[in-house]
Amino acid sequence: MKRRPTAPRRKKAPQRGGLWGATEKLSRLRKTNGLLAYCLGLYGFLYLPLAVMVAFSFNGARRNVVWTGFTFKWYASLFHNAEMARAMATTLEIAVAASVMAAAMGMLAAYAMTRHAPFRGRGLYAALLNAPLMMPEIVMGVGLLSFFSRVGLPLNFWSLACAHALIALPYTTGSIRARLLSLKDSNLEDAAMDLGATEWQAFRQITLPLARPAIISGALLAFTVSFEDFVTTFFIAGIGIVTMPIKVYSMMKFGVTPEVNALASCLLVLTIIALTINRTLVKETKS
Amino acid sequence: MLAPASLWLLAFLILPVASLLILGFTHRGAFGACEWVFTWDNFRRAMDVKYLPIMLRTVSYAGTATLLCLLLGYPLAYFLSFQAGKRRDLFLVLLMIPFWTSCLVALYSWIIILGREGLISHLLMRLGIISKPASFLGTPAAVILGLVYFYLPFMVLPLYAALEKIPRTYVEAAHDLGAGKFEAFRKVTFPLSMPGVMAGVILTFVPCMGDFLSADFLGSPRTYLVGNLIQNQFLMVQDWQFGSALTSLIVLFLITGLWARHIFEEQGVFEGEGEE
Repeated sequence: MKRRPTAPRRKKAPQRGGLWGATEKLSRLRKTNGLLAYCLGLYGFLYLPLAVMVAFSFNGARRNVVWTGFTFKWYASLFHNAEMARAMATTLEIAVAASVMAAAMGMLAAYAMTRHAPFRGRGLYAALLNAPLMMPEIVMGVGLLSFFSRVGLPLNFWSLACAHALIALPYTTGSIRARLLSLKDSNLEDAAMDLGATEWQAFRQITLPLARPAIISGALLAFTVSFEDFVTTFFIAGIGIVTMPIKVYSMMKFGVTPEVNALASCLLVLTIIALTINRTLVKETKS
Repeated sequence: MLAPASLWLLAFLILPVASLLILGFTHRGAFGACEWVFTWDNFRRAMDVKYLPIMLRTVSYAGTATLLCLLLGYPLAYFLSFQAGKRRDLFLVLLMIPFWTSCLVALYSWIIILGREGLISHLLMRLGIISKPASFLGTPAAVILGLVYFYLPFMVLPLYAALEKIPRTYVEAAHDLGAGKFEAFRKVTFPLSMPGVMAGVILTFVPCMGDFLSADFLGSPRTYLVGNLIQNQFLMVQDWQFGSALTSLIVLFLITGLWARHIFEEQGVFEGEGEE
């Protein structure tokens, strides 16, 4: 859209025809392709480890590097591992609890920030809501650890889920806030209240249903954040709470085993699914 | 309606960080008990000859990684800012997937790639460059590689956000006024992307300072960073006071960075050259 108005101006530049113009065009093409090639190379760097991991999760050899044949045995041994199933269940439970909490808090906070009268220090509050994104995870981890033990809060399932909810809060707030801001222009809530609805009725019957895609996509990001979180969990998970990333960490410390590849590949597939659903939802709200 | 979020921010962010900052100034009594006496000892210890190399190493590794991220990431962000529609969505999602994947997953893979029996060692042997298997793990380069890999998206995304906002008409105007491609970039595009550069540098440098996984798995004790030292203080040695002081230094870097960015924004440094 932005580019359109500039197009005619470009035409004003003197056009050189013939062979000279053709070579100029060609060199410009090559230049853009050079940038494209560079970017593809960078993507190659980002995906190399992921590709290697997926490839070797199907490798028959115990020693990782030599390819000895295609096998599913690492996946099989993964799925028959009771400890692994327990870790998976714990991780899912924590992620569900954390994302529900983060979505509920995010919805309330976003509603208050967009619908209620501006209060003093609102900009600062918005920055504070985003602070968990900026804070290096190690600071969160050791901070929570020292604070919990100082006030005597037990390190258990719920304290971990609540901490995850805070780390995920910027994602839900951000996604829901953007949606509520765009809904504000449509004045649908004002119309409902003009027709006699109370604020609560307008919230229940207008705002909430219309904000639902944003709530779901925010909650999905929150779920992924909680599911993948290692550093914070590493510091504050009590004894006996083993989430998937913690399990992967201890397997890695123990030594190189192909099961880790299989496990990591499964986690990668989960991430891709979550991100794809999220993108689809975001697109839906935009159209 | 802000109550739940405020409560969470207070209980799980503000008080924990505040407690760290305070703990760093207290004295560690017998058996790790906390004595409420004000002291600079923990910070002085961080500058001790024993720990100074680690501090300097951390700053230099994090600085190198940030610079590399900027140099590698800027062209990518620039490229992305020219894309539109489906193509842009595809490139962005492809950038997000490694960003959202657990860092452990990629770390494990790098061990396979760089290790003694790893891919690179294999490849170099095939090519006849080295005669026996060599490991690239445990070197500073491996640790920096890990940092660059993890934090590259943290650099690219703010850069992209800033570059995308620059109206194309500005660059066209510069061309109309006789600026060449390079000159237009140097005088218009780059200065206008400075907020993104600042944000990217902060978002890359500060987490690099606190990273311990890269050095833990790709490095050796000789390449340990402050993050490893903090982890060690909290989980092994149980000297939480010293650990808190070290963590406070990272928070200090974050606050300084954000403050500098705020000052620059107020003074309009970012818009300076672009208006020529």
